[in-house]
Amino acid sequence: MKYVDEYRSAELARGLSSEIASLVRPGETVRIMEVCGGHTHAIYRHGLEDLLPPEVELVHGPGCPVCVIPMGRVDDAIALAEEPGVTLATFGDMMRVPGGRGSLLEAKARGADVRMVYSPLDALALAATLPDRRVVFFAIGFETTAPATAVTLLRARAQATPNFAVFCNHVTIEPPLRAILETPGLQVDAFIGPGHVSTVIGTDAYRFIPEEYGRPVAVSAFEPVDLLQSIAMLLRQRAEGRCEVENQYTRVVRPEGNARALAAINETMELRDDFEWRGLGTIPRSAMQLRPAFAAWDAEQLYTVPGVRIEDPKACRCGEVLTGQIKPWECGVFGTACTPERPLGTCMVSSEGACAAFYAYGRQRRPAEEPVGA
Amino acid sequence: MTGLAPERCITCSDEAVEAVVVELEGLEAVVLVAGGAHERVAVDLVPDAAPGELLLCHAGIALERLERALQTAQVAQSHKVVPAADGMEAAG
Repeated sequence: MKYVDEYRSAELARGLSSEIASLVRPGETVRIMEVCGGHTHAIYRHGLEDLLPPEVELVHGPGCPVCVIPMGRVDDAIALAEEPGVTLATFGDMMRVPGGRGSLLEAKARGADVRMVYSPLDALALAATLPDRRVVFFAIGFETTAPATAVTLLRARAQATPNFAVFCNHVTIEPPLRAILETPGLQVDAFIGPGHVSTVIGTDAYRFIPEEYGRPVAVSAFEPVDLLQSIAMLLRQRAEGRCEVENQYTRVVRPEGNARALAAINETMELRDDFEWRGLGTIPRSAMQLRPAFAAWDAEQLYTVPGVRIEDPKACRCGEVLTGQIKPWECGVFGTACTPERPLGTCMVSSEGACAAFYAYGRQRRPAEEPVGA
Repeated sequence: MTGLAPERCITCSDEAVEAVVVELEGLEAVVLVAGGAHERVAVDLVPDAAPGELLLCHAGIALERLERALQTAQVAQSHKVVPAADGMEAAG
């Protein structure tokens, strides 16, 4: 049984590569931002930049959910993990993200009960096995991951589970996109829209980009042929004088998204007044908190979290990487003081982070006169 | 190349993966994922899923069902080639 071969077909990729080359004028520069960290990973992993003409430049965006979590929220999670009787559960990569007081993994080494889970539902199941403790799920992620947290909260309420809570850090994709689009001197001509976020929110959610900011969008899947097709779609729009949202990921993404997922999020969560993003600063109404009806499962209601803002290390330029202002290798600590084994910044932690993806797949392609970390 | 596609988006230590529904029990499904492993996922968001269907799963829940055959045909038709039998590389 073959599932991905058609999306990795060399013949299709070559055809799309030729089409892309035919859609640009020699010497011009077309800058396309891939919003999603999954796309960044795929671009480096498959060497897609080598299939593009020099006129097309890919710019990495803010769509890695691990990378955008500020250090202060990691410290808040560590404080929760150190509360008596608390077991903190979270996704694997979040355990390695450094805060001002080290990482959750280091807190675990100091004696805090920190567990890795693959799903918030696993954290809820864990609570059933630990009746004398409260399991707090450190929830992060865009609209892709928020439905899993929402479904878990609805089940916790239905089961009347008393010893489960959520430390909610879910973020929404539209505000950071607007923040990037409103950056003075923005040099992004088009956007590759995130695939899985769009499964939930639908392609219609991006109509503000062409309508208010005059940039085309192609919502894309993650295989090489998918991404090349999305780039071709964007360039075709430009050649034909169109500017709209197109859907390349038609096998799963609908214009209206998944109504049940949106309803579950809306029933359990509401927008916060503001939230700090790594690299983008504080953005109003850009993240979710639990609704008052779920206060009994809200870690921020049950415990006092420090809520202290922590400055990023001065040498770390994750913020500029996240907003597409510099490439990973232009950061002075890339590959030297900051590596996947010992990350200084969040972009090096998650495999979705631009720095980790470039470290894993792109380094050997750099010319010798541009050494890594220079 | 055999197996299902791990689709790399989002949260760390978990990917959004395409998986085939093997059996259903209420709002829980046993699905076949990459490498032939069976996993349980919640189908609260796609409650009418049926055995044999492809679902996009993430963080322990199914987000949506896939209509793969449709898009494969569209991609092939738009470039007037038949999808090659061998991929650019084996799936990771």
